[in-house]
Amino acid sequence: MTEATEQFFASLPARAPEILHGPVAGTLRIDISDGHSTTHWLARIRPGEIEIGQGSEGADAVWYCGVDLFDRLVTGRSQAMAALFRNESTFTGNVLLFLAFRRFFPPPPGTRDPREVAREHVRRVR
Amino acid sequence: MKELISILDGNTFLVSDRHGDIEPSMDFPTGLFTFDTRFLSTWLLLLDGERLHALSLDDSESYRTRYFLVPGEPTHFLDTKVSVIRSRGIGGGFDEELTVLNHSGQELSCTVRIEMAADFADLFEIKDVQRKQGQHTAKVEENTLRMTYRRQAFHRETVVRSSAAATVDKRGMTFQIEVSPHGEWTTRLSISTVIYGARGEDARAQLPLTGTRTMAAIEAEHAEFVAKAPKLGCDCQPLAGAYRRSLDDLAALRYESISLGVRLLAAGLPWFMTLFGRDSIITSLQVLPFLPELIPPTLTVLAGLQGVRLDDFRDEEPGKILHELRYGEAAGFEEQPHSPYYGSADSTALFVVLLDEYERWTGDVALVKQLEFAARSALTWIDTYGDLLGTGYVWYQTRNPRNGLENQCWKDSWDAISYSDGRLPTFPRATCELQGYAYDAKLRGARLARLYWNDPAYADRLEREAAELKERFNRDFWLPDKEYYALALDADGTPVDALSSNLGHLLWSGIVDESRARRVAEHLLGPRLYSGWGVRTLADDQGRYNPIGYHVGTVWPFDNSIIAWGLWKYGFRQEAGQICESMLAASRYFEGRLPEAFAGYERELTEYPVQYPTACSPQAWSAGTPLLLLRVLLGLEPQGEHLIIDPYVPSGMGRVELLDIPGRWGRVDALGRSRTPADEVEPR
Repeated sequence: MTEATEQFFASLPARAPEILHGPVAGTLRIDISDGHSTTHWLARIRPGEIEIGQGSEGADAVWYCGVDLFDRLVTGRSQAMAALFRNESTFTGNVLLFLAFRRFFPPPPGTRDPREVAREHVRRVR
Repeated sequence: MKELISILDGNTFLVSDRHGDIEPSMDFPTGLFTFDTRFLSTWLLLLDGERLHALSLDDSESYRTRYFLVPGEPTHFLDTKVSVIRSRGIGGGFDEELTVLNHSGQELSCTVRIEMAADFADLFEIKDVQRKQGQHTAKVEENTLRMTYRRQAFHRETVVRSSAAATVDKRGMTFQIEVSPHGEWTTRLSISTVIYGARGEDARAQLPLTGTRTMAAIEAEHAEFVAKAPKLGCDCQPLAGAYRRSLDDLAALRYESISLGVRLLAAGLPWFMTLFGRDSIITSLQVLPFLPELIPPTLTVLAGLQGVRLDDFRDEEPGKILHELRYGEAAGFEEQPHSPYYGSADSTALFVVLLDEYERWTGDVALVKQLEFAARSALTWIDTYGDLLGTGYVWYQTRNPRNGLENQCWKDSWDAISYSDGRLPTFPRATCELQGYAYDAKLRGARLARLYWNDPAYADRLEREAAELKERFNRDFWLPDKEYYALALDADGTPVDALSSNLGHLLWSGIVDESRARRVAEHLLGPRLYSGWGVRTLADDQGRYNPIGYHVGTVWPFDNSIIAWGLWKYGFRQEAGQICESMLAASRYFEGRLPEAFAGYERELTEYPVQYPTACSPQAWSAGTPLLLLRVLLGLEPQGEHLIIDPYVPSGMGRVELLDIPGRWGRVDALGRSRTPADEVEPR
């Protein structure tokens, strides 16, 4: 488990009121594997709330992910949907839980507000 | 171009030539495709080493075809001892029944060969050729050929099985056959496609609606879909034909979303067999009075995939509604940004417009409440990230210089937005219809906030902002000397002064000052924009006008349906009727199936509408067009718990009767008749 991943999970309950607004509820299990062992994170999602735990019990959806990929996701260096499409991670169950959870991932490092960029650009060309 | 035959079921489609053969092509998507991947790129039938020729073809259904073939060139006196029938239908893959008939009194012995290959090209590699990075393998098994492609964990497979004994090699199957006098030989070939997902299972196996749907199931589902729609009775044959064709095409274009296990509409064959934000919303608006059940899955999926973070590669911002979602290799390995791509500046406002329109028809308050946050986020996007320059307008400029879209409005080709003299404006750009949509979204958002979100203060604010936007727009976009609205503003705020069909969208949104509406309508129906078959995307005296230019002179049926709706909104019934009439007249030349676009030539010049060379067909929002035109002709508008029916049927069209229109009122009937001096229309 990487430090970034640990910190990411620890930050979620406080961020949930800002991020989880939709009507989605249920338990998403995230199985993060380093090839030898797997850590089972449980994210119990409700509108405005998330509860984080660990355990291998059944869930409404299970997301299988490598340690490295998850580290890239929580630091904004990879994108979750594309990883699913290239089968680098896999998913079963209620996809709405995955779509709700992906809201917690940050932008790629160094991303600037596009409004700032556009306004600078216009000032430059004028 | 050789004539190609397409069959489809959702986002699985098969394009072959008139003999049923598939030859590798890197410029047009021929072959078997599903989820943006070509699973079969070669499928060639040879009889004793020779190609066959088509006698006839039955392609009356969207999901199956039958080819009648003979060896050699058919001549005046056809004297063949053998013929072949290929009968195929599409599901997750496809099935082909191949029958060789011996018409002679002697035993026939011959070699049947089918050449097979799967290149697993991503749809984007066909438009934009690249080298495959993964490994292809072909494995010979008993009466089975298994072709696979792997790139890291990305794993696709095509399996071809024959019911008759076959000699299988890595490039196909051979059958040495003996057919008795007047007898026949048959094999059934089944082609299955596998997309490997979690734990080596087909990723689609978990989808409740896909997998191995039989043709009977597809047929039953199509019939049910059509049966649910209102019944049209009319004297006007083109209208009846176009309506029926549209329902069939819309049924065929539904595919299963990987997200929700619900059916969404793919945008168009062959390039756009996937979810587009703009296309799915516009199509939903067109079909809402007829097929309201299509709307909730569309809105829910778009809300589920709403932008959540800043991502330059994908042009993503919080609150933005997606432009395009793709499932293929290029999207997965981030060579293309479609996972999803957010490069459209209109889908976000249109999302709110659709949610409100849907509630007005159906009274489905639960969905309006469920999507409250998504709709508020969309409205917030309009004033934050949408207003790139902070000037009170929606602007766009891609942050993905490699493969982002330059133009993020419906006219999204590179040269679509120009000044009257043909120059291209600077970025960012604010096209006019984006402002119209934003205005409409604010007013509709206000209605939802007041009635269902219990937030009258927010409603007041949105209405105030809408009024200010309308005033600002009419000041900054109106060109007093030309008497129409500019197509866009450039980065300096200078009007981009081309005369374009976008004017009609402004009428639809209601942002046009009443005092200017007459002049706008005159432009739309005037000789510069109106070709006789419909309104051109760009007026014929503009610098970049080209009658076969994708967004710079062609006539788009969907565009015309929105224009007709806009004309009707401002009371120009006769003009709206004229658009309806010319579109329906054009549809006759396409057997009721309006293409994506046709050429902007004068009607008198060509006498028939010339199809745009690579137009997609069927295309969802072209299929939706006859439905919206019907709404315009009958003047169908929900008001409270009732449906207002206020028909205006152009003369010569006769009776138009639509039965069982669904909505919050249950089901009602509408009847309209052509106006004649003696016989005024009586709404029922």
